[in-house]
Amino acid sequence: MENENKEMMNESDIQEQPDTVVNDTAPVTSVESDSTVSAPSAESENTAAVAPVEPDTSAQAPAPKLPIEKLSARQMLELDACTRCGECSNWCPAYDQDKRESLTPRGRATQFRDIIGRQHGVFNAGSPLGKLLGRKQVTNQEITDFAKDLYACSTCLQCHYVCPVAIDTVELWERIRECIVDTGFGPLPNQKDLVLKTQNYDNPWGQPRSSRARWTKVAKKKKRINTVPKDISKNKAEVLYFVGCTAAYDTNVEEVGINTVNIFDAAGADFGFLGNKEKCCGSVLLRMGDASTFKRLCRENTEQFNDLGIKTLVTSCAGCLKTIKEDYPKHAKLNFEVKHTLEYVVDLIKAGRLKLTQPLNMKITYHDPCHLGRHAGIFDAPRELISLIPGVELVEMERNRENARCCGAGGGLKSGYPDMQNQIAQKRVADALQTGATELVSACPFCYQGLQVGIQAMDAPIKMRDITELVCMAIGKAPATEEDLQEKD
Amino acid sequence: MEEMRMYLYFEATAVLYTLTVIAVLLCFAGIFTTVALWRKGKAKSLHHKLSLAAVFKAFITDVIFQVQILKISFVRWLMHFCIFIGFMGLLAQTSLMALISHFSAPDSFLAQSFFHGGGARVLDVWGDLFGVTLLLGLLIALSRRYVFRVQQLETIAKDTTSLVLLTVIGLTGFMSEAFRLMDPQYADVAWYSFAGMLLSQGMQAVGIGDMSYTFWVWVHAGASFIFIAFIPFSKAWHIFVSPIEIVLDASERS
Repeated sequence: MENENKEMMNESDIQEQPDTVVNDTAPVTSVESDSTVSAPSAESENTAAVAPVEPDTSAQAPAPKLPIEKLSARQMLELDACTRCGECSNWCPAYDQDKRESLTPRGRATQFRDIIGRQHGVFNAGSPLGKLLGRKQVTNQEITDFAKDLYACSTCLQCHYVCPVAIDTVELWERIRECIVDTGFGPLPNQKDLVLKTQNYDNPWGQPRSSRARWTKVAKKKKRINTVPKDISKNKAEVLYFVGCTAAYDTNVEEVGINTVNIFDAAGADFGFLGNKEKCCGSVLLRMGDASTFKRLCRENTEQFNDLGIKTLVTSCAGCLKTIKEDYPKHAKLNFEVKHTLEYVVDLIKAGRLKLTQPLNMKITYHDPCHLGRHAGIFDAPRELISLIPGVELVEMERNRENARCCGAGGGLKSGYPDMQNQIAQKRVADALQTGATELVSACPFCYQGLQVGIQAMDAPIKMRDITELVCMAIGKAPATEEDLQEKD
Repeated sequence: MEEMRMYLYFEATAVLYTLTVIAVLLCFAGIFTTVALWRKGKAKSLHHKLSLAAVFKAFITDVIFQVQILKISFVRWLMHFCIFIGFMGLLAQTSLMALISHFSAPDSFLAQSFFHGGGARVLDVWGDLFGVTLLLGLLIALSRRYVFRVQQLETIAKDTTSLVLLTVIGLTGFMSEAFRLMDPQYADVAWYSFAGMLLSQGMQAVGIGDMSYTFWVWVHAGASFIFIAFIPFSKAWHIFVSPIEIVLDASERS
């Protein structure tokens, strides 16, 4: 019933309202699930109304059964496939900050296996054999504690890469989070706002849809771009530039959008964008377990993209890239290819359509965004692009490529555990400082934000830059000046 | 009168058969309950068509040779490889003996050659080779977990019981062999059981001699039955399950 309500809410045409109104709406999930009320029978309709039985939500009361049908048989097997070798604990960025076994992928798998065994196994706690074996009911408190630990994860996928059994950890966590959300134990209170805003406004920033393309008009007015990209839904183009919510709404990283437009313009690319019709890719919802809203966005976006008749969708956001390229095809067929801007730029350079002529004289280090690297397998393209920029010396951090340390911004960790994210980001910034580089370059607006947190906390002598900024400078477009940045503030 | 069915050097009695059947049935019951739980997962397991080439490649490199562990640590690879290969080798040896003992007549060529002829020597070497390999792996595993207390290892009862049971099985296997080899009737062929023979001579040198071979075989068999019955509930379950995940993941990412 709750899901139906959610679907109905999502399907309806929600009025654009200011941010604060969203916070006053009903919670996304609640423990009062559909188990509280059963459909009245014909007989009961003729008798006195019976008050619905409220579920016992006290901490020690038995928890509602987790809907494990949301997992696949393979994911259930994965819980048994873990050898408990603990290699994941050597690499997990969350465990690195808080040395509790329950934060490790091994700990989470063990705990979840125990919970579902007691709830759904042949020897479950309610069965005669389970009682004989002394198996205890799973309590609300247990699930609550488990959920807290489950959300202390940036879904960076490092654990998958180091796991000798290659357990597909992140998809497993996402599905488990789905079970947690469905039973009302997730997302965490300080993550719910993000989910609600995405549900209601199709962007996690809670900004009106009508202001999504505002950055282009402001940039045009300030002469930071030559023209506002064409509306691809009205004028066909070969390439769709999918801006993404962070670059579209967060003024601190709008440079990513401005730079991307300038690069495409300089190359004479046949591109357009969706403007205010663009919607969130749903990444944040998928990572945090709100599968129903994600599926709605996936369906709507896929239909919209497929109808455009584009050849390529290009995005400068690693999170959007991973979601559209890796997750959407699990639900719908795409009739175009998906590329990150840097891959497309490499193509443009190789085709002789873009010339990087201005030497930059910079010593930089490159941070592999988790969603671009480990999730989408794009490790070489950014390095190739950097090698094509004159005057740039790339110094690798000790942990790079498959083993690049996460910035902590993804998977809802930044909203759920901001202090932990800050500490994780500082570690990554420290990695960068060790190289002696003066610029920390990445290819994801979310990493840009996340690492900036670390740089500011440490007051580190290193400048955060998106890779599009370097390309823009190399084609002779001036980067944002201090004045530009101050004007935004 | 029909010749007694043998398990190489040990009489395959009805009690042995019965206990074997009980252990195997318990194991299968455990597998059934576990697989029943897996089957409650209804979402799609694979997003791509199964790639047999990727499955085969991953099976060779990551399941058999465990290259992915070698990349992390040689010691861990050696430990895991020894336990895996030792366990599989002994499982194959025991299964072969059980099959020959059960399905071929005691006076058949197969039974005669494997339990009395040249085949027995192959089984002697086979058992000792894989037994030593298993114990070497277990020695490293026990040292890492309980002596050096490697930081990444977190021990729960499941970890301890599997390691202890396997160690008991390995050690009692050699103990029983050592006592058997004290019998002069095996003098000509004793060195085929090279590890058992070394242990036998060592024990005799320190004055431990002539204990009941049968007793140690029963301890060995008892530990093995407990181990088999608990496979689906123990850490040993990953020996069978982890390879499935390894090859499926390889296929999905190919």
